[in-house]
Amino acid sequence: MSNDEIFAAAYREHYWAVSRYVARRLDGRTDEVEEVVAEVFTVAWRRRADLPATPLPWLYGVARNCLANAVRGYGRRRRLVDRLGNDETARGRQIVDSPDAETPGAWVHEALARLSAKDQEVLRLTAWEELGVDDLAVALGCGTRAASMRLHRARRRLRAEIDRIRPTTASKERSHG
Amino acid sequence: MADELELLRRANPVPVDGPHFGDGPLDHHAERQLNRLMGQRTSRRPRLAWGLAATAVVAAIVSALLFTGQTTAPALAAPRPLVVRADSTSVPLKTLAERAQAVDGVPGLRRGTHVQSWSLGMSDDKPPITLPEERVVRWNADGSHSELVVATDPRHPGRPVLSGDGELVDDGQVLSRQTYPPSWSDAPPQSPPPSEPARLRAYLREATYTRTELNTGELLDAVEVLLDHWTLGDRQSAALARVLADAEGLRPVGQVTDRLGRRGQAYVYDRSGTRTMLIMDPATGAVLGLETTFTRAESEYGVKAGDVMSYSAWMR
Repeated sequence: MSNDEIFAAAYREHYWAVSRYVARRLDGRTDEVEEVVAEVFTVAWRRRADLPATPLPWLYGVARNCLANAVRGYGRRRRLVDRLGNDETARGRQIVDSPDAETPGAWVHEALARLSAKDQEVLRLTAWEELGVDDLAVALGCGTRAASMRLHRARRRLRAEIDRIRPTTASKERSHG
Repeated sequence: MADELELLRRANPVPVDGPHFGDGPLDHHAERQLNRLMGQRTSRRPRLAWGLAATAVVAAIVSALLFTGQTTAPALAAPRPLVVRADSTSVPLKTLAERAQAVDGVPGLRRGTHVQSWSLGMSDDKPPITLPEERVVRWNADGSHSELVVATDPRHPGRPVLSGDGELVDDGQVLSRQTYPPSWSDAPPQSPPPSEPARLRAYLREATYTRTELNTGELLDAVEVLLDHWTLGDRQSAALARVLADAEGLRPVGQVTDRLGRRGQAYVYDRSGTRTMLIMDPATGAVLGLETTFTRAESEYGVKAGDVMSYSAWMR
């Protein structure tokens, strides 16, 4: 198969997996997913000669960069503005104690959000994209050992954050029986 | 209690078997994009590409700064916020919009932009730094366009400025020079902005991928997107002034001299934690600049109340 044909096959096979990857990182802004995914495959098309035999982790790597480009310059300031603007909502969320009022796993997300961006990504790739260490290394653009080390550390830090916010969550679990 | 990865797995916001983005055949949009890619064979881009390419320059600069590992104290003083002249009178936006309406329709709309900007690069673990740069985007008759980004701070001509790698470079150093192949996009903000207020309002909504009516904060963000793509003619400027005049919460505060030395009328809009100042030409109603400052300290980001978060001054 030519590079073009390999690209088309990878596109058909992985379009939705890449969409999910992007959607998971856009915090519910689903209307932007399509645009970012289009950019991911445009970049992948330009670099189609580099497409590895197992393309998905590599596509995740491309997607990670596209997302960073899409949100960083404009987005980081934007997120801060959003956060500033949503103070009242955020405060409200902290005092709400009813599990029904929160989306499932909201507190896990909260624990995750307290970690560095790098830690978050290695954890998401493992838990949500279900990558093994070898694929993780491809997606992160590092060696297998480094990937493994990063995952190990990130897990430890996530555990610590979960333990830190556990008092509230433990009581919720009890109330559920 | 389950282990941390298991907990995280259960909190997957978009699971494979969820209602959206599940595996299956491509939808119409995805199929069309594949056809476009396969059909072009040369390096044409989809409509988002050049907008992203433009932000990529800034993103590259910011990321370089964030990940250089230096404990960079700001090498240059961050710009001070614009000061409203104490003795000046403020002109209501509606008056300015009426003035803009009366301006003759010359000069006309031009694709591309010329903007001087100062933007704060913020990091979780390093002090913020301000990057001053000038960007010129010019479109050619064949649909291609070029973008030139130069490190410069017009307030200090000839003095070195902070650049992409977090180091000082000579004033005027080219940070990037790129030419992009023809683009065929016809969606906002690549399509020409209309000169009728209601249609312009819809255009701005589409340009920022917003489905509902824009609030004033979103509108000001959309203005930035628009002016980063187009140099407005008097008719579009008049329409924009009208749209802005209809927005809630923009208060006239008086006259300022912007960082390029131009006199303008200032209107401020307060959000929680930030204030955006819109600067408009008092004679023509054209938007000259937008400045966003912090109104309270954000220690996590190392910023103080009064720090300038971003500032763009557009030129012809």
